[in-house]
Formats: sequence, C-alpha cells, structure tokens
Amino acid sequence: MNVGRRTLFKLAGAATAGSIIPGCKKEVDRLVPYLLPDDQIVPGVANWYASVCGECAAGCGILVRVMEGRAKKIEGNPDHPVNHGKLCAKGQASLQSLYNPDRLRHPFQREGPRGAGTFVPLKWEEGLQRLAQVLRDGRVPPMMVTRPVSGTLARLLSEFMDSMGGTLYFYAPDAELPLHAAWRESMGGDGAPVYDLAHADYLLSFGAPFLEHWLSPVAMGIAFGQMRQGRATVRGRYVHIEPRMSVTAANADQWLPIRPGSEGMLALGIGQLILDAHRSTAHGQEFERFHRFYGSVRLDEVEHVTGLSREVIVRLAQDFDAARAPVAIGGGSACSQTNGTLSLISINGLNALAHHLGRAPIAQGWCHDEARDDRSIPWLTEQMMFELAEKQDAGAGPVLLLYGCNPLFTMPRAVPIKTLFEQASFVVSFSSFLDETSEYADLLLPDRDALESWGDHVVENPAQTMGLSQPVVTPLYETQQIGDTILELSRRLNLGHGQSKTFYDLLRGRWKTVLADQPHTQTADWFEPEWIELLQQGGLWREPSQAAGPVNFAPSRAFEQARFVGEEPDYPFVLHPYASMALGHGEGANRPWLQELPDTLTTVVWGSWVEVNPRTAKDLGITHGDVVRVISPFGTLTASTVLFPGIHPDVVAMPLGQGHASYGRYAKNRGVNPAELLAPALDSMTGTLAAGATRVRIERTGEKRRLATLERPTMEPSDLIAIDRR
Amino acid sequence: MADTNKTKSHKWEMVIDLDRCTGCEACVVACHAENNIRISGEDEASEGRAINWIRIERYWEGEYPNVQTRFMPVLCQHCDDAPCEPVCPVYASYHTPEGLNAQVYNRCIGVRYCGNNCPYTARQFNWFDPHWDPPLEEQLNPDVTVRQNGIMEKCTFCVQRIRAGKEQAEKEGRPVRDGDIIPACVQTCPTSALVFGDRHDPESRVSQLARQDRAFHLLESQGTHPAITYLKRIA
Repeated sequence: MNVGRRTLFKLAGAATAGSIIPGCKKEVDRLVPYLLPDDQIVPGVANWYASVCGECAAGCGILVRVMEGRAKKIEGNPDHPVNHGKLCAKGQASLQSLYNPDRLRHPFQREGPRGAGTFVPLKWEEGLQRLAQVLRDGRVPPMMVTRPVSGTLARLLSEFMDSMGGTLYFYAPDAELPLHAAWRESMGGDGAPVYDLAHADYLLSFGAPFLEHWLSPVAMGIAFGQMRQGRATVRGRYVHIEPRMSVTAANADQWLPIRPGSEGMLALGIGQLILDAHRSTAHGQEFERFHRFYGSVRLDEVEHVTGLSREVIVRLAQDFDAARAPVAIGGGSACSQTNGTLSLISINGLNALAHHLGRAPIAQGWCHDEARDDRSIPWLTEQMMFELAEKQDAGAGPVLLLYGCNPLFTMPRAVPIKTLFEQASFVVSFSSFLDETSEYADLLLPDRDALESWGDHVVENPAQTMGLSQPVVTPLYETQQIGDTILELSRRLNLGHGQSKTFYDLLRGRWKTVLADQPHTQTADWFEPEWIELLQQGGLWREPSQAAGPVNFAPSRAFEQARFVGEEPDYPFVLHPYASMALGHGEGANRPWLQELPDTLTTVVWGSWVEVNPRTAKDLGITHGDVVRVISPFGTLTASTVLFPGIHPDVVAMPLGQGHASYGRYAKNRGVNPAELLAPALDSMTGTLAAGATRVRIERTGEKRRLATLERPTMEPSDLIAIDRR
Repeated sequence: MADTNKTKSHKWEMVIDLDRCTGCEACVVACHAENNIRISGEDEASEGRAINWIRIERYWEGEYPNVQTRFMPVLCQHCDDAPCEPVCPVYASYHTPEGLNAQVYNRCIGVRYCGNNCPYTARQFNWFDPHWDPPLEEQLNPDVTVRQNGIMEKCTFCVQRIRAGKEQAEKEGRPVRDGDIIPACVQTCPTSALVFGDRHDPESRVSQLARQDRAFHLLESQGTHPAITYLKRIA
C-alpha cells in the first residue's frame, strides 16, 4: 500500500467523519483542523486547539494557535493541572520542530557503507515491505530503543515487541533512574516522587536543577513562585548545594559549593545531627534504621569530604529541623556520581525523617490507580550496554529499531554503544531528523511531529493526568506516525493485534474503555460527545487526591564514597558536565530560537565553553576567551574559557547539547560534546552513567576566541591606546 | 462604575517581581514567537546584532564562595518621559494616549538617535533583512509586521494583543477586564514574575503590586518615569 499523505487523510477522515472540533474556547462549529477543507478556513481568524507538549516527559498541556491551517504560536493550557497555562522556553520553541527545514520528509534507505550518512529516497510501501521482510528473516529477536513513552503508544510498542519475542528498552540521558531507585528505599512504595514546593517553608536542594529541566520544570517553577511570594506571611527559604551554581541554584538564598560526589555525605551529617537533637524522643523501632544509616559516618569525616565547615553543617541541620514544612531534594549533579543512588537515599531519607518527626509532608509518592503499561519496560543503562556488547557476535546481532533518542550522541564514546550498531543485522530509525544515531540506520521511516500526531500522555501526579494530543495542523510531509507504522508492520507480519486500522482507532478504543468505567450517559453514542469534550479540554484529570502509602525508610545498603576516574596528579579537576537549559542533552540544538537564546549565566549564544573559577584560571594563567584543551583519560576537546565566579576551584564545567556532527544546519559542527570526555563510570546501584565522575586537566593553546555573548565584553586593557604625555 | 470605566482611558503597565523571576527565559522565546523576531546567527550575534525585545540581565555579586547572582528581565520600559521620543526626526517614536511608547516602522528612517538615547538599550536596529529558512516562515504571526533592514524595533507590550482584547470587549459590550490582555512574555512566565494590566484601574493586579514596598524603577535618577515597576528580590 502506498500510504501517501492524501490517503492518510482519507483514512483518518473516515475515522473521524462527523466529529466536531477539538477547538478550544471557541464556539463548536468546525471539524478537526486535520480535515479542515480550504473553503472552511476563515482568513485572519485564529483557532486554538488543545494538545500535549512533546518536548520532554513532563507532559504539559498546550494550546496551539492555528491560522489558515498553520500553527502560529504555542501557549500553555490554562486548565491543565500540570502547567496551568505556563510553558518553558523549550515548549515555546517547539514550533521549530514542526517547521524545521531539516526534517526528514519521506522514507530513505542507506546507500554506501553503514554510518556514512548517505541515503536515497524510498516509497513508504517499499520501506514497510523491507522492514517487514527483515523482521521476518531475523535470526535473533529484535531490539527496540525508544525515548520513554506512556499510554497507548507504550502499550502498542511493548505488545509489538513481545509478539516478536524481542525487547523494548527506554533510553533517555536524563532518565532519573537513581531517583526512582532511591525513592523506593528511602520513602517506600512504587510511586513517583512529587515535591509540593508551594507549601514548603525550607527547601534544601542537593544539585536538583528543578527550575531548568528536572522532573516537571514548569510545574516546579509555578510552585517555586508560590513558595516565594504566593503566601501572605511565609516566604520559603531555599538553600542549594552543588559544586557549580546552576541557573536553579542562582535563585537560592544561599549557594554552598561542595566537593563533587559528597552531597550524600552532607545529607548523612545533617541526618545525624537531627537525630542527635531528638535523642530523647527519636528512638524505638521506627528510628532504628535511621540511626543505623545516618550514624555510619563521623562528622569530622563529613567536614573533610564535603569541604564545608562544622558550623555550616550544624546550621543546615538546625534550619531543616526548625522548619515546619522542610523538604530535601536531590538530583542533577548529586546523582551523576558512582554513589548517585546512595546519595539520593541519604537525601530523600531526610524527608522520611522529617515525616517521622511530625513535619508537614512536602515530599510524597504518587501512584496511578490503574496499572501503567510503561512501568514494566526496562531501561537501557550504560551498564546494560556493556553486557549486551559482550553477548553479541559480529554481524549476528538483532534488528535494531530506534525511536526518539540519540544514544550515539548522548552516551560517552567509552561505552560500547557503537558496537551494538556495528553488530546489528539491520538498523531502522523512526526519527524525524537525521542525527548521529539515525545516520547509522539502514532504513529511515520518519515519524510525524508531535503537532501532527494523535497520542496520549500519562503523568504521575496528584491529579492523575492523562493528556490527549491531536494533530493540530495538516501533516507537512510524507511522514507516518510511529503508531501507524507499527500497526502496519503487525498486519504484514500477522502478529494478531492489527484489529485497529490506525493508531487513531487504537487510541479511541483505549479511551473508550477508560471512559466506560466513569459515569456517562447511557445512550448508544455516548462516547462521541465525551471524546470531543476531552479533545477540547486537552485530556482527562481529576481532583487531586490525598497522599499515597506510608513512609518506609529501608535502605538496602550502607553509604559509599564516590569514586572518580583519572589520577589526581595528572588530572587535577573534576569535570562537571551539565544539561544546557535550552539545548538539553542536544535535542534542542536544531532549533534556532534555542541556539540564539542566551545561556542565562554566561549569556553565550550558539556555542560551547568551559567554566573555570577565576582563582583557578589565575593559577593556570588563563583568562576569559582563552581557548584551552580539556583532557580526560578518554579524550580531548578544545573550547573557550569563561571565568565563572560560581564554581568550586577544583571543578570545571561544560554545557552539554552542542558538538553535533549531524542533526541539521543549526546544530552541525557547532561547539563540542563533553560526553566524548566521559569515563564509563557507573552508578553502583542502577548502572546508569555517572557523568560527573571523570577527572580532567586543562592546557592552554595560546589561542584566543571570543564567544558570541549577549553581555558586551568588558574592554580589554590592550584595546586602549595610550599616549605618552610629558 | 462600569459605565465610567468604559470611557476611561487605559494606562498599560507591567510589574516584574524579582523575587519570583528564575531566569528561565521562557519569556524570551515566547516574545520571539509572538513578535516575529528574526534569527540573527552566530556571526551577527557576536557583533551585538541579535535582537531581543526582552532579555535577562545577570549580575554577579561578591566573590567565591560567597557569590550571589541576580536576574533582571529588561524590556522597553515604556517611559512616560521617554528619551527616545523627542530625538526622532520623523516622529516614528511616539507616545500613545494609553502610555505605550510606540514605533511606527513606516516612518522610521534608521538614524538610530532613539537607540542611542535609550538608557535601557531596549531599542535594536535591523542591520540586515530578516531571513527564515523555509518552511520556518510558516510560524510568522500574521498580526505582527516583519521589520526590514534599516528599521529600529523594540517591545510593543504586544500591542496586537491589546488591540484584540479591546475589540473583543467592545464586541461584547463590556469594559476590558483585568487579565483580558496579556502579552506573550507574561502569559508564559511559569512563576508569574511578570504581571501586566491597567494602572488606571486601582484594583487591577498590576496596580496593587506596584504599590508594594519592594517597588522600584530602573535607573530612576534618569527621570524617565518608566511604566515598568520592579519588585526587589528579598535577600
């Protein structure tokens, strides 16, 4: 079947004929935008459609302003319980994914050697046939790696892989696996952590970049605004602990630089001091585990490892203990160490302790009432990469299916991810762009943009949100939604779950089951009006429910110190790679708006840099703009120096996101990718990359290169022309 | 009250709470998207020719380890006594009855006197024609003019949204309500650090906030009487 754009319209059209619009805040008088014929478009009149932002896993609700069939602006959906009408810079820029000039516009197949990046166009029919054939002929079960997805798509992908006997893995460089692992042991239960910052009066953050890209940054931002100025008499205090001052940390009342990897140690010290302060009451069985875990270190050891004075540590413990509603959060740099999960257990354990001491419960775990399809799907960790690479034989590897991730860019070179690609018998990518990973594919079957797709998104929050996304514009190119591609493949392979003709049918079917359990009118066609209402609303959510399960602090292991790769005399600095607020781990690098968005702290645009403490720079004899070599035991990169007052003198930081060798005109050959420097050090409990565990040294090159910054550089003394005056 | 309101003129103002602003820059991208602000590229940006109608200024205070950062969103201050207005030889820069400092692109001849006279560096010049790699031009907002080479441009308080809000209210035969008109930056701000409204309405949120003790204006000593009131960050 040649599934052209028009055919697809007709298919979707048949499915939705007669349905009236998901327009929002407008009189109901139009068909879905997807089907809007030209004669029904009113020039100059904007329609708004509700959908879900696809830029990260937070699942914010959006409203898209559509004029003449084209999306013009994206705003937050005011009714949505996650983001209440607000949106971050990435969400605002997501139009540039839809209209990106470098999008793949139809299927391609590889020509020339694998990885050379040369492709020739292909018809959908040929592409699907080829993939079906390859899957049929595969001698070992296939393997699929996708970004984390939820809802209907998660179920479809996992059923598809199950029926082929293959495995589906989630992969994301910011997977937060240590957080979830730590949550189970420090707070108990399987819920997702939700931090109710709006009601906190003391926030102690150990490296969590919650205002940039951690968990649900827009929701956190809203809550942070409330914590600061939303209450008449309380202004929540905020202390941030991290080797480098991040944009998030810049908002703290106090930033405490600490030695990398010692965050958990500090939390141990704080916990021990709090337990000491409650010596007379904090005993009995429920405090036994706390005493055992937090009592495992001596305070002078904590002082020594963290580099903080006893006075500072005691003060932190007292403030935390004195607060009515304290909360400790840990993430970002605190968990990207070999002891990441253990540190987070120690940090989140403070919340469990506060709970036992009768403080207001700010940190809580939330579970969906229904079983989530994506919960059982394993994550592809760096440790697993090593295991897989060992198992496989050259050329006899599985068929590899890739979607929504770019592991060849985001994983360090020292992790054998490339081996997996080299050994795969066939590689197919559903990516919308040619990036480092899809360049390695044999077949490209590009997915639609999120704004052209049907889908749903389940969020684990107190409102149990299920967002619903719909195509708000006519698809621009001959692309096909991954859900439809998978259904088509199942049919060709007779896998038995091809009853639904399209992904749209599947989605509706699933929602019909969900809604059937809820009160509704008993007419035969009850579903249609409900469905339209949900599309207009942007999904389904409930009144936030009360807290789940009791708190149970049960660490399975004692605390360990962080380990670093590279000998200190040769590599005196610890490298602190951090996800750029705009470009993330690189996924935002092909959006010109985000490239030109000044990094808040350095104001750099379109580039990469190395942040060095001014004191350290003086010792090294380097200054602002000097090009230096950053050398780790695993690689060397060059970049311009930025003198950064907010960084520990023994640490140098580099933003992630740039350094693409592919990924379109705005991203390609721009800056450097710090992932190339990283050692394959792993978190001891989850096996994810410990990105902050690599030591480096800095060498001057003698070259100077001015970075493009929003901030005008101060005039160099050498720019002044002095005259001799006698 | 409603009847008098209907005829009463508006005075559009903004309050920026620095205790809420986190420097997340959502406002910056929202502004680019709403107002068709061009993409400059690295080379032009390094020459200081990138255009931002709103920017986050960052100030370092103190020295390691006792270092503090402060963020300050800066946009056109829509001054009541705007230094940019009297210097324009062609009246391209003028003051609207509702307190907006407006720029008439069709009149602008690009002498840049206004830009030089603005103490806030809020005005930016187009040193070249804008370009969007197709199909990026599809995202352009049809309600906003695209500025060409040789034109001065700056924040308009999203005048197209103000107009739309007033028209809508008129159509419905009611006065403009507080919150009806929201510029793109204010709309997206996660922490609600930015608040926009009518200062002639003493009950509007913007009026209430502007009366707070923490209120100050940028470069007050210049006597420009800005329409933007900042609220001091605590600690």
